[in-house]
Amino acid sequence: MAMTQVEKDQVYERARHTSYDVYEIFVQASDLDPHVHVGSLLAPSPEWALQLARENFLRRADAINIWAVRRSDVHATPDDPDWFAREFDRKYRDVSGYADNARRWKRFKAQAMNIDDVIADVRKE
Amino acid sequence: MPEARREAFMARIRRGEKIEAHDWMPDDYRLLLLRLIHMHAVSEIMGAYPEKEWVPKAPTLRRKMSLMAKVQDEIGHGQLLLRVAEDLAAPLGRDRMELMDDVITGRVKFHNVFHMEAPTWADAGIIGWLVDGAAIITQTALLDCSYAPYARVLKRICAEESFHMQHGESIILSLAEGEPWQREMLQEALNRWWEAILFFFGPPVVTDAARRMMEYRIRSRTNEELRQKFLTRYVPRIRAVGLEIPDSALRFDEEAGLWRYTEPDWERWSRVVRENIGPKSQERIALRRMAHQDQAWVREALVRARTAAVV
Repeated sequence: MAMTQVEKDQVYERARHTSYDVYEIFVQASDLDPHVHVGSLLAPSPEWALQLARENFLRRADAINIWAVRRSDVHATPDDPDWFAREFDRKYRDVSGYADNARRWKRFKAQAMNIDDVIADVRKE
Repeated sequence: MPEARREAFMARIRRGEKIEAHDWMPDDYRLLLLRLIHMHAVSEIMGAYPEKEWVPKAPTLRRKMSLMAKVQDEIGHGQLLLRVAEDLAAPLGRDRMELMDDVITGRVKFHNVFHMEAPTWADAGIIGWLVDGAAIITQTALLDCSYAPYARVLKRICAEESFHMQHGESIILSLAEGEPWQREMLQEALNRWWEAILFFFGPPVVTDAARRMMEYRIRSRTNEELRQKFLTRYVPRIRAVGLEIPDSALRFDEEAGLWRYTEPDWERWSRVVRENIGPKSQERIALRRMAHQDQAWVREALVRARTAAVV
């Protein structure tokens, strides 16, 4: 049975104040990838958030999993660059801190190793 | 104190920093962005209407599938952009319902090209090729926008637009390769759309709002710069497929390095957009009203279903 205009207006008046939650969407492209944040959407429930996430973010890209997280459940760091400040030089933690190895190996007529070579070697039959 | 805050904000902009939704921003910045993104979002949604009209009438199944994919993309882009607009509008106490109500009440405008008729399949082709082509130019020009949430969404949109570009070219190439009547149909569609496409970029005068948007690094190119880029890209291709551009004054002024063209009727087109008086404006707004108001009970029922489930 079709609704009258008055009924339609009543429904609309009630529905206008319906508010959906914001969900942040994270997509995992493959087993070896982490979930990556792709954006947000409005949804009436977590189940709908997942359905809408597929429609909004996976019309082309492949994926194996989606997380939908209510925005109010996301805890973020403060908006303060000092929070990420580096108190001192951390090169000693990085490959770049050992750039002189290559030169020093030369004296012993051998080469420095790098992790990509090791991975390739281990994978080789 | 507010002046100092504003100055610190402008210093961030000048350093090329990106602004996030939760950062402090001047009201002027928020309102300019909101107006731009709100219109962009609504234009994506209203832009699906002229194309959706061709889904049931597409000449082949493949064309029907690709056109549906495109319509789906446009609505999807609208959804992504609405989210960005909502986060900007939230401190003003406005939500998605209100942003969409604005389409129906005429408080938000949408692009002139989406007020037009698409009477033949060649119109669908011209929309995909040239209207999307023009939109791609304006959108890529915003990729470096100082407002990061908008820039991130545009990155995703532009990636999908690359499909739209190929899709439009494919349709017009088929017609250009076709029978004389098909080429004629294509020419007639171009004649119908040319002036509207030139208007799409907006008037050459740099308005006060446009100037402020450039200061805020929301955008970096003027309307005229973008129109010139469009002409440089598309005029040779339009001519290459044997079409005649319906403007006898169109020429490239080598000395100035600029295209000269007959200006669209700025006043008439502005009224179409401002007053929603294009040939299809009211019909499409009525469809939008149906989706927004008549289906409102579904949106409400979905929330009620969740509440019931929790209880």
